[in-house]
Amino acid sequence: MKYRVEHQTTYVNARPVSVGHNEARLTPRVTARQAVLSHAIQIEPPPSGCTTLTDYFGNTVTQFIFNQGYSTLSISAVNEVSLVAPQDASDPGPNWESLRSELAEHASAESLDAYEFCFESPRCRVAAEFAEYGKASLEPARPLRLVLVDLLDRIHRDFRYDAQATTVTTPVEQVFRQRRGVCQDFAHLMISVLRSCGLAARYVSGYLRTISAPGKPRLVGADASHAWLSVYAGRLGWIDVDPTNRQFTALDHITLAWGRDYTDVAPVKGVYIGGSSPQLQVSVDVRPVEERS
Amino acid sequence: MTAIDAQERYLSVPDRIRPAVYYEVYSPDGRIRPAWSDFVERLGHVSAEQLTHRSQQAEQLLEENGVTFNVFQEGRQAQRPWSLDLLPLILDAADWERLATGLRQRARLLERIIADCYGARELIRDGTLPPEILFANPGFLRQFVGLHQCGTSMVLCATELGRAPDGEWRVMADRADAPAGEAFALENRIAVSRTIPQELHDPMVQRLAPFFVAMQNTFKSLGRRLSENPRVVLLSPGSRYPYYFEDVYLARYLGYTLAEGADLAVRDDRVFLKTLAGLVPIDVIVSRGVERGIDPLELGGGEPHGIPGLLKVLRQGNVAVANVPGSGLIESPIFMAFLPRLCRRLLGEDLLLPSIATWWCGDPRQLEEVWRRLDELVIKPAFQASGGEEILAGQLDEAGRRELRDRISAQPHQYVAQELICRSALPVFHNGAIGIGHAAVRAFLVADGEDYNVMPGGLVRFAPTPDPMVLSISAGDGSKDLWILGDSPVHPVSLLSDAAKPVVLRRTSAVFPSRVADDLFWFGQSLDRADYLSRLLRSVIDRLTAESAADFPELPWLIRALADQGQVEAGFAIDSFVSLLPTLTEDLPRTVASVEEVRGLAAAVSEMERLASLERLWMSPDTSRKVRETAIAFRASADAGWSGLVDVLEAINGTILDLAAVSGLIHDGMIRGPAWRLLEMGRRIERARNTALLIRSITPDESLIERPVLKAILEVIDCRMTYRARYYDNIQQNAVLDLCLTDETCPRSLAVQLVSLAEHVDALPGEGESLLRTEEKRIVTSALHAVRMLAQEQLEQPPAQGLQELLLDVEDAMGQLSRVITRKYLLHSGIPRQITSGLELPQ
Repeated sequence: MKYRVEHQTTYVNARPVSVGHNEARLTPRVTARQAVLSHAIQIEPPPSGCTTLTDYFGNTVTQFIFNQGYSTLSISAVNEVSLVAPQDASDPGPNWESLRSELAEHASAESLDAYEFCFESPRCRVAAEFAEYGKASLEPARPLRLVLVDLLDRIHRDFRYDAQATTVTTPVEQVFRQRRGVCQDFAHLMISVLRSCGLAARYVSGYLRTISAPGKPRLVGADASHAWLSVYAGRLGWIDVDPTNRQFTALDHITLAWGRDYTDVAPVKGVYIGGSSPQLQVSVDVRPVEERS
Repeated sequence: MTAIDAQERYLSVPDRIRPAVYYEVYSPDGRIRPAWSDFVERLGHVSAEQLTHRSQQAEQLLEENGVTFNVFQEGRQAQRPWSLDLLPLILDAADWERLATGLRQRARLLERIIADCYGARELIRDGTLPPEILFANPGFLRQFVGLHQCGTSMVLCATELGRAPDGEWRVMADRADAPAGEAFALENRIAVSRTIPQELHDPMVQRLAPFFVAMQNTFKSLGRRLSENPRVVLLSPGSRYPYYFEDVYLARYLGYTLAEGADLAVRDDRVFLKTLAGLVPIDVIVSRGVERGIDPLELGGGEPHGIPGLLKVLRQGNVAVANVPGSGLIESPIFMAFLPRLCRRLLGEDLLLPSIATWWCGDPRQLEEVWRRLDELVIKPAFQASGGEEILAGQLDEAGRRELRDRISAQPHQYVAQELICRSALPVFHNGAIGIGHAAVRAFLVADGEDYNVMPGGLVRFAPTPDPMVLSISAGDGSKDLWILGDSPVHPVSLLSDAAKPVVLRRTSAVFPSRVADDLFWFGQSLDRADYLSRLLRSVIDRLTAESAADFPELPWLIRALADQGQVEAGFAIDSFVSLLPTLTEDLPRTVASVEEVRGLAAAVSEMERLASLERLWMSPDTSRKVRETAIAFRASADAGWSGLVDVLEAINGTILDLAAVSGLIHDGMIRGPAWRLLEMGRRIERARNTALLIRSITPDESLIERPVLKAILEVIDCRMTYRARYYDNIQQNAVLDLCLTDETCPRSLAVQLVSLAEHVDALPGEGESLLRTEEKRIVTSALHAVRMLAQEQLEQPPAQGLQELLLDVEDAMGQLSRVITRKYLLHSGIPRQITSGLELPQ
């Protein structure tokens, strides 16, 4: 499956800023299931300097500076990617207890790397209330994939999508109590539940296809950047699940970046000096590209 | 009573502490330890009165330093958290050498640990360290990975020490995230040397200055890669940070520019200091702010010492930062549980200087030990620098203990347990008597190639009990100097003077940060605004308090001038003002006293005080003290409550004199450099604007200005004496206007302000590339030209015919000039703000 993604981010400042420093994570990652065919980032006005680097988690970061200031900053990322469906979607995976002890012992390089995603991070908690919530899905000897199916169902049943209920800074405890939120909140929530149960989960930022495949319901969160999570599954590697749409990802999710939570992978961030605070406009368009074969 | 009695009474071993602690002065058999024998003997020649008197002098000296370096804290927050005790802690050379060797080894070890944790992570891979030490540690900042591959990361560190009952030193905490305190130690030394009775001086005490020389050399060597003669700045979180005093003191002592984040900018992969003359490249940054705030672009937040883009430049190797961000990792007490093992693994040596015994609860075996001895231990978060939450399990009741056990069991990796040590006891001189205190010593190290230099001294804090002390440098009741005795008398070395060597003569200081220029510019404006408003208010109140205010035809004009300045509401400046006089009379004390009146006198005075205290470093101590006194006197008078205008008048008269003294001190004492120029430009702009506005406010539409009004103008502009000397009582409009506007010999005339502005604008740095006049030069020249071109007739005819317009132009020009200067020279700075917060919302 091939996609062309256009992601436009515009900051409008009523009074021009004098200096701006920005960082964008808008280059899709190359994974076993995702190939990047082309990618380009266009910045207006042209920045005084621009470099790319790879961050701690392996994401590509574009850093750019404005010495001469700007009043409107627009960042447009155009990417083409191709996806293949997971091969082992029918494999239920190791049972969760064995994964938990594999992580606790972290004897192999993979499990040591995954262990990093078992702890609290700025936006995700490890706490009794989340462990308690997870308990109902953790039947003894249940394979991980079935644990996730159950958790996805319960989160879908217990929580409501509500774009008004939270902001980008709402703590996950509050999301948990008010049982409402958006994709970012659900990702943080499910990560907190899994980590509180001794499993490893990381936050994934990316996109959803804008118009759903024929015969399928429209996906929630398709006209902006999206977020979901990835869970460590031992021999199966990492399994991506989207709690907002109650599904395992396959051919509709395009991965930009991952980290411990939103703070590690915000698509665009930056600081500015002078001027007034900016108004943000974001538009995302994800279209399937005709595959000539 | 002489101190010999005191010695007999107090310097003997008090019974209550004998078995449980190490006593610094006496050995258990009651004999004086060798390091102390001379001192105790000499103390016998000093009377308690003398010691009390000298202690007061020392406090005064520190207070003076505080005034000199202190910043705007509205007089509430003391910058120096404790008092100084003149009696030192004394260690002999052998004792010290053993300790210093341990400190150096420990610093080398910590350095290796930092490099590995932020680099190859072999210690985690091979199981020497548990991965939680990074993964669960909020102090492990992933942005710093890869910064520690070359050179020393931990350039400076401090070690918090206590002496255990067995006489051995134990480390209570390691500090490497902008470790503070070395300048306090230096200040203590200087204060003690100056005030301690002559009898107590000991020529064997090792000097601190060589340590600071070593610091300078190390910083220089860090920058050698980038420049032959590296430029070093001391990066401070600024005046709102509690230890700003130390930053200022240290910057001055080491001779570095003190910069805040807003003074530095990243351009073209280098870091620059924004100065009045443009951008100056910086090679070495000695950071005094926490590492987590160092780059708001990558780390978020908006700390005042943050420099957006700094980490990128650091990765490219285009700047050196001490300490390299990430060094603060080893402040987590969890490391203490692994140090002996790490020392053998990394250095192949046994750890010479042990930490207080520490167990990490995340290790099942260590946790067992913790459960067994819980009551004797103190429980701390594993990943917070010591000084945060500390729980003495033995002091909890049954329920509390159960709760503590539950907390630890739920997340054992989050906690460490440490043994309690009874810190050693030593004599303290407190409230005129010698008593007992328990000491904590902060030792300081600076990297020197592969090894470290230890300051032969340190910061001693003491508390009345040996209970765990909050290990910040502000902890404890008081502080002391630490004397390390050498083997032979020490030759003096000081950074403060190098008597025999003439220096290269200079007429300017090296660099002048734009932020300082900005503050001084606005300080100048506030100073003159306060002066002008005081005079105007005095003229108004003089008349309001006379028997019949309505008899003064100039009063409505003066009130209009006040309204035009924004000191009173515009409603008072109408023709039927007589009926409003009672209200004005009633209202004026409040508006004059209130800082809420943003254009009023109180606001001008407090702004002046604020800016002066921010930039104390750039004025003489007397000037800044006088500014502070002026503001305090004004505020004290206002706060006491003005019952009527007479009280206001008295206060304002005082303020006018105080401000004159400030002006005089600036005039006499300030070097004619860029600081003075900017300050002067601020003043001149404000005065020119006020003079123009006054005459414009006060002149009638069609007629000549009436005599009483002319008199009032002379009074407010302060030219009465000159006028009388020239014209006696013959008050004529043309002569008054000449004196106030065109006379270039009258220091308060508009023309003189413009002449001097023209001179200052010419002297601003960074010009010369263009042959044509710059914008600011054109503005001043054109205003001055217009004033000089005023003809005799224009001063003689009603001002409405031409003069009014000219004055309005001058006012506009001054506003424009202020904006141009701000934009061009001052305003590249500001606090960086995050664009993302609350905005970027993925759905």
